Amino acid sequence: MNISEVEKALIKPALYGPDIDLSKYKLEEAVVEEARDVDPGVASAAPRVGLEPGKLMYVQSNERALYTAMARALSKYGVIVAPTREGLEKKPLAKELAWRLVNPASDKYTASAYLYGGEVGYFIYVPPYTKVPMPVYTCLAITTNNTVQFAHNIVYVDEGAEVNLVTGCAIPHGIKDGVHVGISEFYVARNAKLTFTMIHAWAEGLHVRPRTAVRVEEGGEYVSYYVTYSPVASIQTYPTVYLKKNAKAYLASIIASSKKGVYDIGARSILEEPGASTENISRVVAKDESSVYARAEIEAIESDTKGHIECLGLLLSPRAVVSSIPIITSRKQGAVLSHEAAIGLIAQKEIDYLMSKGFSEDEAKAVLIRGFMNIDAPIPPSIKKQVDQILDIVTKYAVG
Amino acid sequence: MTVYTITELLGAIMPLLELRDLSVCVEEKKIIENLSLVVEPGEIHVIMGPNGSGKSTLLSAIMGLKTPTICGGKIYFEGKDITNLPSYERAKLGISLAHQYPPEIKGVKLREVASAMVRKYGCSDCTLLAKMLLVEQFMNRDLFVGFSGGEKKRTELFLLMLQNPKLAMLDEPDSGVDVESIELLARSIETLRSRNTGVILVTHLGVITEKLSRINKVHLLIQGRIVYSGSPDEVLPVIMKFGYRKGLEVLTSKGA
Repeated sequence: MNISEVEKALIKPALYGPDIDLSKYKLEEAVVEEARDVDPGVASAAPRVGLEPGKLMYVQSNERALYTAMARALSKYGVIVAPTREGLEKKPLAKELAWRLVNPASDKYTASAYLYGGEVGYFIYVPPYTKVPMPVYTCLAITTNNTVQFAHNIVYVDEGAEVNLVTGCAIPHGIKDGVHVGISEFYVARNAKLTFTMIHAWAEGLHVRPRTAVRVEEGGEYVSYYVTYSPVASIQTYPTVYLKKNAKAYLASIIASSKKGVYDIGARSILEEPGASTENISRVVAKDESSVYARAEIEAIESDTKGHIECLGLLLSPRAVVSSIPIITSRKQGAVLSHEAAIGLIAQKEIDYLMSKGFSEDEAKAVLIRGFMNIDAPIPPSIKKQVDQILDIVTKYAVG
Repeated sequence: MTVYTITELLGAIMPLLELRDLSVCVEEKKIIENLSLVVEPGEIHVIMGPNGSGKSTLLSAIMGLKTPTICGGKIYFEGKDITNLPSYERAKLGISLAHQYPPEIKGVKLREVASAMVRKYGCSDCTLLAKMLLVEQFMNRDLFVGFSGGEKKRTELFLLMLQNPKLAMLDEPDSGVDVESIELLARSIETLRSRNTGVILVTHLGVITEKLSRINKVHLLIQGRIVYSGSPDEVLPVIMKFGYRKGLEVLTSKGA
């Protein structure tokens, strides 16, 4: 890695989203330690993203990365769940994978994470042909005001293996401002499958800059299901998924925006080899004075590839703004790419219909908003149930 | 001694539904004019008329939908003036409508709406109703999305029955429907009547009338007015044979 290039990037703004002056925030020293009890800040933040503190396998509070006893429960399957720093020290694979998919010189957030992040975050390894029987739950929380949190997550799902990863990022009540920068590099090997469910619950003064890249090898499958529902100062993220031969991706984002938040959230798929396919789905429910940029991009480099973008938005307030920005690029004949985007209000005739069945206007809106956010994501039923509970909260939030 | 409230007493002696000189407008245009009608519990009233005569508008006005506005007269339900009540309040009182064209609602499963309604109205035999109307198979489908004509009508009637209504209004349940569905719909209407539900059945073609064992009255609605009311034996054969315009002439000349 060319350090001077990364240092130069420390002042490089991101292509999208409001520019944040990171020097205004304090950075704690990164530490890795055994979790004796669940951190009280994390314990109160976790339920906001549907997580039970007792089930967490990796916990991070600000820059403190905590091992948990739960992670050890998976070691009998050969599965490693450890703080990234630990992984980098002990596992050559982790070292080999780190900063390969995300370039530290991309912008000031990646550069800061690389230079000052202290390599906290989680490292997960799933051995070949291992189907991890329970979801891997992780939670990252910012528990003090005016703090910047870095996380560098590396996941490697080896050939033919399957794992369901659930990450909640949240703050406990009372935290007003801060910055979260999460670097995620996910590798899905041949015929392996990774489902990644991420739920965000922040607050009005938080800036969030996830930087995610995923590589899916031949026949592999990656499912991402992202939900964010709380107010936030700004979120800007544009994960990229690289798909090899016959690899599949399903990338879904549910965005319930509010207050004055700026939500710039995208999903990009690169179809690199024949047979690769992707579906990039987003649902936006915007209220108050929030602005949402729902970006989606599919680039087909090879023929015999398939991709579809579906961006649907609902405006719940006269002052909210939703921009849907789909891009499809085909570089070879024989790639089938399509996009569908629509932004509207809740249909009055649907409200009227439900009201005639005895639903009050607010109840009818809630049913319709909840339905609008229903997508048939290919995630396991147990996680779907959890996400459904979160979406019920999102609905109350959107209507109220 | 049992003590009744005034409302209960009124409900017992007043008609189930009374329309008194009702006028209904759509964007300033009068679609229904000075219409009066009384429906008692357990009665089946059939309203027939050509396209555009105001049949659906009338039912929408009784249900309290937002589109038509009441521009004259009153609606009483069990003696209570409901002219200005919103539709969901009317639904709670026991008024129900099976829509002619229910909207397709993506993402909302029939099961979700049905369960919410069971929670609202309580329903002891909803599984039976679902079986009777053959709607179990649609429970996990998005509401009305990709449903055939008959499937939509059966589902609408199922939802209506979940309300356990005192007044059931059915808007063209027999249009665009297969024979099997018509049988099922007719049987459900008989069930409603056996529960003492008042029924207003709007039909353009009148097919379903042949399947019902007892109809109390048939009303002809033409250009927003009830121009003739009579028994089914008197009115139906004439309308089936001559159509609305000529049929009306025959009916009125008979009386004259």
